[in-house]
Amino acid sequence: MATKMFKARVFRYNPDTDDAPHFEEFDVAYEPGMTVLDTLLYIQDKYDSSLAFRWECRGGQCGSCAVKVNGTARIACRAKVDPDDGPLVLEPLEKMPVIKDLVTDMSRVKERVRRIRPYVVRDKPAPRPEIVHAEEIETLREIRKCIECYACLSNCPALRETWDYAGPMIIRQIARLELDPRDVEDRIAIALDESVYACTTCKMCEDICPKSIKIPALAVELLRAKAVEAGYPLAEGQQGFIDQINKTGRSVPEKDTPLLRSLESEEFLVDNPRGRVAFFTGCLIDYRMQGTGRSLIEVLNRNGIDVIVPKQQWCCASPAFRTGDLKTAHDAARRVTKIFEDVADKYGLDTVVVACAGCGKTLREDHRPFIAEERGEPPRFKVYDLAEYLIDVIGKENIVPPKGELDLEVTYHEPCHLGRGQGVVDQPIELLKMIPGVKYIDDPYKNRCCGAGGGVRAGRRDLSMKIATTRKEQILATGADMVATECPFCTIQIGDMMKGLDVKVRYLPDLLAESYRKGDEET
Amino acid sequence: MSQLPYKTILCDVLVVGAGGAGCRAAIEAAKHNLDVVIISKELLGKAHTSMAEGGYNVSLGNVDPLDDVETHFKDTVVGGAYLNNQELVEILVTDAAERIFDLEEVGAVFDRTPEGKIAQRPFGKQSWRRTAYASDRTGSEIMVTLTEAIRKSSVRVFDEVFATKILVHDGRAAGVCAVDLKYGDYLVFRAKAVVMATGGAGRIFKVTSNAQLDVGDGYAMAYEAGAALIDMEMIQFHPTGMVRPESARGRLVTEAVRGEGGILLNNRGERFMARYYPQVMELAGRDQVARSIMTEVLEGRGSPDGGVYLSIAHLPRSVIEFRLESMIEQFADAGVDIRNEPMQVSPTAHHFMGGILIDTDAQSTIPGLFAAGECTGGVHGGNRLGGNALADTQVFGALAGKNAAEFAKEHGLPPVDRDEIRDEFVRLEAMLLRESGISPADAREELTTLMWNDVQIFRNEEGLSRAVKELRRIEKEVVPNIKVDIQVKRFNPGWHQAIEFGHMVITARMVAEAALMRKGSRGAHFRTDADPNDDGLYNIVIRKGDDGEMVLEKRDLVITKIPPP
Ligand SMILES: Cc1cc2nc3c(=O)[nH]c(=O)nc-3n(C[C@H](O)[C@H](O)[C@H](O)COP(=O)(O)OP(=O)(O)OC[C@H]3O[C@@H](n4cnc5c(N)ncnc54)[C@H](O)[C@@H]3O)c2cc1C
Ligand code: SF4
Ligand code: SF4
Ligand code: FES
Repeated sequence: MATKMFKARVFRYNPDTDDAPHFEEFDVAYEPGMTVLDTLLYIQDKYDSSLAFRWECRGGQCGSCAVKVNGTARIACRAKVDPDDGPLVLEPLEKMPVIKDLVTDMSRVKERVRRIRPYVVRDKPAPRPEIVHAEEIETLREIRKCIECYACLSNCPALRETWDYAGPMIIRQIARLELDPRDVEDRIAIALDESVYACTTCKMCEDICPKSIKIPALAVELLRAKAVEAGYPLAEGQQGFIDQINKTGRSVPEKDTPLLRSLESEEFLVDNPRGRVAFFTGCLIDYRMQGTGRSLIEVLNRNGIDVIVPKQQWCCASPAFRTGDLKTAHDAARRVTKIFEDVADKYGLDTVVVACAGCGKTLREDHRPFIAEERGEPPRFKVYDLAEYLIDVIGKENIVPPKGELDLEVTYHEPCHLGRGQGVVDQPIELLKMIPGVKYIDDPYKNRCCGAGGGVRAGRRDLSMKIATTRKEQILATGADMVATECPFCTIQIGDMMKGLDVKVRYLPDLLAESYRKGDEET
Repeated sequence: MSQLPYKTILCDVLVVGAGGAGCRAAIEAAKHNLDVVIISKELLGKAHTSMAEGGYNVSLGNVDPLDDVETHFKDTVVGGAYLNNQELVEILVTDAAERIFDLEEVGAVFDRTPEGKIAQRPFGKQSWRRTAYASDRTGSEIMVTLTEAIRKSSVRVFDEVFATKILVHDGRAAGVCAVDLKYGDYLVFRAKAVVMATGGAGRIFKVTSNAQLDVGDGYAMAYEAGAALIDMEMIQFHPTGMVRPESARGRLVTEAVRGEGGILLNNRGERFMARYYPQVMELAGRDQVARSIMTEVLEGRGSPDGGVYLSIAHLPRSVIEFRLESMIEQFADAGVDIRNEPMQVSPTAHHFMGGILIDTDAQSTIPGLFAAGECTGGVHGGNRLGGNALADTQVFGALAGKNAAEFAKEHGLPPVDRDEIRDEFVRLEAMLLRESGISPADAREELTTLMWNDVQIFRNEEGLSRAVKELRRIEKEVVPNIKVDIQVKRFNPGWHQAIEFGHMVITARMVAEAALMRKGSRGAHFRTDADPNDDGLYNIVIRKGDDGEMVLEKRDLVITKIPPP
């Protein structure tokens, strides 16, 4: 069998001799199971022994070998190569000055680690032996697996804009120490000093981490919750949301007539339904994007799905979960669960559809485990994102095809809490591609954070805008006329950025509904 | 060639190596109000110690209350085939407990017993469950903890600095010559005392579980400096290395897999250990299991890829997921779900029992030159028990650090010989400037293949003589002609490999020469043509003779408590 070859484009730079970095392309013989590290070693062996990169253990244990693989940081020894996926682009980690080729200078981060007093601080000598119970270190055990590979620093949207933020690796270390029953240092004060509220909870770090450490949940949100518990106030903008939730069940104040109030009924039934779902609107669709809510109902109805829209809905309290107000958060989780379980019982359904990435993630990743733990049984309904429901449950082949032609070049912005939060990645794009006339343009950075989440837009507007500006440039680079997305926060955030520009921002259900309606007119 | 520019860095105690032993030594030395410098080839925290999986032996008796230091001592000496220096073993087993508490003091998190004490698991050839652990990432836990402790201490860290030569003045260690790997500058570190903690040399074999850095620099540098080395023929081949994919070949499958109940099967599904060691089965000594596996493979009962099967599919999933999490990940990368399918394994070069000869102060035969960890010899004798090496790094790291500090307090800064420094840097520079020569990659391939073929688990006169002859040739003909392809000093792995190659050859020669000298089988050294008249109850000590030739001598065992039967 002929050996399969693939191309690797590798970042080269020797500041002693080169004015600027360049890429060098190499032909590499593919072997099944090959990793990025194998690729680099092959190049070093066959073409250029001076190619600089770090490695030691070749097994994800030492944390030496992180590089950017096709734009996203990975540890080279565990990143698999796909020879059919175009050239493999290898670059050094971001945010670190290059020493040579893929080797970067980590000293800034190392100094930064030092300043958080990264060890267990004690005020008296440890007893020998020391009794520590397994339960006390259960969560700690999860987040202490870090091998300091620095990969998560490279693609963190907050860190990208400012070193005010310590970045995921260090925030994780602060949480690891906060969770250690032996440590006496005030880790909350340190976390605040290291800007723990700069994190958008985009989960990029968790996705990148070779040890799959859930940094946003187990470090960032944990530290924020402890800060709130300790009496530290939230930022004004963030507290506003919380107060609003507790008062009204909605995180934002009312402006136009809310969707729920304007709907004539809570039942939108069709003839010969093939399914029945309840629609969780979330605050923004109810209070700000009423049209989108109607579009969603319409799209589902057109596909033969009964839609129940409970009039008494309550905020999922995502802002409270994200910023650490666990009381508000947990109250809301109980309340939402009850409302939708009642609806499920009343209408004989077991599925809730959401069109807000943030709400969907919160229902799935926050409410579900919390309720399961509190009462020993998870909520008695499944939660789907709209696009996921259409493609995975109804099935692509069964979807009533939208007929109306929309002559548009559309790119997609993947909401963090949809892609990494709920694992819904391809479905929205498949839907886009089903719309006649739409030319889909892929954005290699489509899964990058827009800066709206995690309470950052509310609490750190300056930072949020910087993140959004970076994201705007990426979207503009695609040349598309429109960016579609599946989250009201992203829609508003990107919409703000695109003001005065020709690029439109649209919500996916709206685009689908528009095509359906246009199709009706044409026939 | 004239003088090449270099920079000199002064300190009181210099520690070469930042693995478990080096970090521990530096932390200890820094407690004495001294200026301590630690250097390492890799970034701080990335040393080979981070790869250790299974655990740390200490007779706490938390799970089996009858365990004690005496039993730990006995297991270690019996496991070491009585070749251990029993004075050193005494130190190991006595201090292991305090040193693990030291680790906890600065933040290590080991897994717990129901009473909240450090949990302990069974490991091969040990009378009791003695091995403390943090899942199967114990080394990483220790390395991370020590890294944090270094960050707390006043130790100055120069990572990515490659020591190439130990400087000796008037018979006393005076520092090292080194290259800054990042920028390629030449450096001289001068110190009142030097601690070698350079780890092992698995990488002289083609198939190894070791990290990239383990090429034997420390053995070669100590040898060149005139220090004595001991037991260099004693190399542990770990029975269970990965077989597939090719690029993962040799990667360790931790002994904890067998400790937790994993069973070995041949291609007929037979639990073949029953044939060789029916009493202990899979928990026989590493050398015994390794030879059993090799015999199965050589006699045609191996797996298609040349290994045997290791299965834990009969264990409860929860046990696998909680105690063997890295293994799940490691095999998932190779496309195997170990919760359901067996792993394929075969032996891999794993650990050097031999190394720099030290006394009970962890001092080498050169005054002011201390050593700790895998670069030393004597503690483990002919074979090391799983879990004893991590304990070794902490016990002897602390001891070497303390004694180096005391030595530094009692002595002034020795002068250095500038001609010697000049010659060393000229030697390194020549590898870059040479017009033609042999590429380090080709040379390394030749060396590691030779060692894997002729100096492996089953050894004999013919193979060993051939290896020795070849190594002498390589030393004379290849080493002086190594040529780096690209003449760049800034982070140039080609150059790093070239420098390492010289060290690898010296280390390999010590291994092969000592193996040739030892005619009988003992410990990890197994001769298929064993001389029955050689009881093997001696150590082989190696040093560089005055004429520059390698001198090997048999030496009496150091026995304090348990004489060989
Ligand atoms: C895969 C694997 C698993 C293992 N699991 C266990 C286990 O479960 N339990 C156990 O007890 N043992 C285990 N061992 C053995 C144990 O890990 C090692 O013996 C131990 O970690 C060695 O530590 P060290 O500090 O001596 O050296 P290392 O950790 O090897 O560190 C050597 C240091 O020296 C530096 N160095 C080397 N040469 C130079 C130079 N020329 N200039 C500058 N610096 C230099 C290196 O850069 C490095 O920092 C395992 C070994 C392997 C390979
Ligand atoms: S969740 Fe996103 S913003 Fe927060 S630390 Fe991780 S990568 Fe950075
Ligand atoms: S948290 Fe994960 S990605 Fe970040 S440095 Fe640690 S191991 Fe690497
Ligand atoms: S080489 Fe150690 S983590 Fe990749």
